[in-house]
Amino acid sequence: MARRRAGFLALAVAGTLALGACGSGGTSTAPASNPAEVTGTLRVLVPSYPASNEGKAELEKVVASFKAKYPQVTVEPDFATFDTLNQKISTSIAGGQGYDVLVTGIGWVPPFAAKNVFEDLSTFGATAESLGESTNPALVPASEYKGKVYAVPLIAGPKPLALRKSLFEKAGLDPSKPPTTMADIKTAAEKLTVKDGAGNITQAGFDFWAAPGGYRQDFVALLGSLGKPLYNTNGEAEFAGSEGVETLEWMKSMVNNVQKYGAQNAAKSPLVNTGEAAMGFTGGYIDCSDKGVGPAVCDDLVYFNLEDKEGSMFTGGQLASVGKSSKLKAAAWDFIQELSKPEAEAGIATLNFAVPAGKDAADSAVVKSNPASTFVAANLADAKFEGGAANWLDLRGTFGTSLDDALLGKKSAEETLKALEQQSK
Amino acid sequence: MSTLKDTKPAVRAAGAANTRAARPAGRKSRLTRQQSRAGWLFLAPALLHSTFFLAVPALAAIFLSFTNYDFSGAWQMIGTENYVELFQDTRFQAAFRNTILYTLAVVPLSMGLALIIALGLNQKIRGLGFFRTVYYLPVVTATVAVASVWLWIYHPGAGLANAVGSLFGLTRSEWLNDPATALPALIAVGIWQGLGAKMIVYLAALQGVSKELLEAANLDGANRWQVFRNVIWPALGPAHYFVLITAIVQTFQVFDLVFVMTKGGPVNSTTVLTFDIYNNAFEGLRLGYASAETVIMLILVAAFIYLGGRSQRKNQDG
Repeated sequence: MARRRAGFLALAVAGTLALGACGSGGTSTAPASNPAEVTGTLRVLVPSYPASNEGKAELEKVVASFKAKYPQVTVEPDFATFDTLNQKISTSIAGGQGYDVLVTGIGWVPPFAAKNVFEDLSTFGATAESLGESTNPALVPASEYKGKVYAVPLIAGPKPLALRKSLFEKAGLDPSKPPTTMADIKTAAEKLTVKDGAGNITQAGFDFWAAPGGYRQDFVALLGSLGKPLYNTNGEAEFAGSEGVETLEWMKSMVNNVQKYGAQNAAKSPLVNTGEAAMGFTGGYIDCSDKGVGPAVCDDLVYFNLEDKEGSMFTGGQLASVGKSSKLKAAAWDFIQELSKPEAEAGIATLNFAVPAGKDAADSAVVKSNPASTFVAANLADAKFEGGAANWLDLRGTFGTSLDDALLGKKSAEETLKALEQQSK
Repeated sequence: MSTLKDTKPAVRAAGAANTRAARPAGRKSRLTRQQSRAGWLFLAPALLHSTFFLAVPALAAIFLSFTNYDFSGAWQMIGTENYVELFQDTRFQAAFRNTILYTLAVVPLSMGLALIIALGLNQKIRGLGFFRTVYYLPVVTATVAVASVWLWIYHPGAGLANAVGSLFGLTRSEWLNDPATALPALIAVGIWQGLGAKMIVYLAALQGVSKELLEAANLDGANRWQVFRNVIWPALGPAHYFVLITAIVQTFQVFDLVFVMTKGGPVNSTTVLTFDIYNNAFEGLRLGYASAETVIMLILVAAFIYLGGRSQRKNQDG
């Protein structure tokens, strides 16, 4: 009896798993070569578009264009957020309802490509070279895993550095010569830091624009300026060498010296934009209108990038992939083509305060609309990305926490990075 | 008494003999069968729900905890590897420790405070309805909204906590940015948020305390403490037990507060088991590993409930 029960239990659990494993993408009838004859539902995961009227209207333009070619295919969008994206993807796979088109972030390509969630886009003739013809070549590496292309970049969200001219002048520094090496930044930041009588920092000399656990992207940018990526193209850790240690030790020397650890304003906006910091990391978009920071603040800002050994600017972004389990792969690929058209990318960039990934995006209205976007679009060659390892999504959270260990002096920089290197294997 | 004891077996024997005479052994009467069918019918919705939404997932979690399932389809049985790895995982260790600390602080403190408030609100005071509503408000407010307000209160620069502290000459605290103060700050929110629900249960229990007993105690000259200790406290026994069990379960389930306020940081000082399970399952995509952690959490919850229940019984007996 007990054996029968155990057998039934194992069967039930295995059945549940098997149901999940036998996933399929959008429903369709037999595949047709003529797009006009293809029928079915295309499930698209699009965190690029907020679930607002504005976001839905922007996506509707893309869908309308797609439907002109695929009139019998129904597009079912899922307006997820990046906070719940992994949850959506993993449960959709487990539930056997994988998405046909998935928009994810930079750093997500290797893990999902390694897990066989994304389709190798060479199926549709996409190579790094062909992608570089329409996309900014600096963003192409973010779409690759082990030499194959798994995604099409849609937008880039860089984090350049900025300084306040007025605060530089007040501290006797020349704002026309921004400090670009770590050593120079530290020297300038110490001069720019203002403290009250009790020793509390009232004006940060340098803002990392990072909450506790959020120093990872700054580390990537700083490491990149020393000429090292987080991982090489084989997915091997590059961050634990002397450059990584130098970077982390520099960051430690800045934290609680020129800025309190994890300091942010209530709006979590870059402190250099509000004047709470004289210099620091900022976003690739700024609203110079009276509804935003105002023209006076924009005139007071100077944008620049890190450049110790090479130009470096942390760059996030969004990329679109075809789901491996999709039954409408050709339609999914065509939907991505629609998403990556200049007007669609401009729409996504506007909604996400980013810059389009297209090769000619520097001339687009969305880029020219503000000085931050103009600067980052012109300097995308300095783009440095996070991720690169197949277990990056697992390691990402630990990475931020471990850096904090070093920043707060609980562990040495070398010990921290060696431990992370071990976990990367 | 002895008569009853003596007659019961005889009655049972007679009844059984009559039944045997009326129908073959082992067969139930039509009425019994009908009652049985009706019972199963009424039980069916709850049983189906419990089977599909509780028992099957629980069994699946136990099964998955022995696999390396990662949503990608292919998986293998890996024995106790997940469990071995968990006990070497510093993030899990921190989550385990923080969950226990959070529970040990939130459960007794919130129960004690809720009882004090309920005793206060059980008096005939002006604005009773208003106060009851105010204390219950956190329960019906979305945790995300609650957490957002507390994020502002704890903001080191612009927050209310430091502003109030400075009036008393206290030095500025970093609250959620400091590993030493982040968990206590979160505990304070947890206590505040859980007060209303516990207070309502206590209030209902207090209103059920026998008026005759209270009157008798007063007539006997018992002071307020003696009335509370010897009349009210014992009468609150079932309420204590209910509040304790639900409080333990609720505190172990704390997730949204951590997710919105600290994301488990700084340096894992506020990470808890539910948050770590979520991270392992949906951020790290390691469902097998997360399932092992879930099993450990279930064992821990069961242990806490057992110990809590035992201590309650001891109190009642004492």
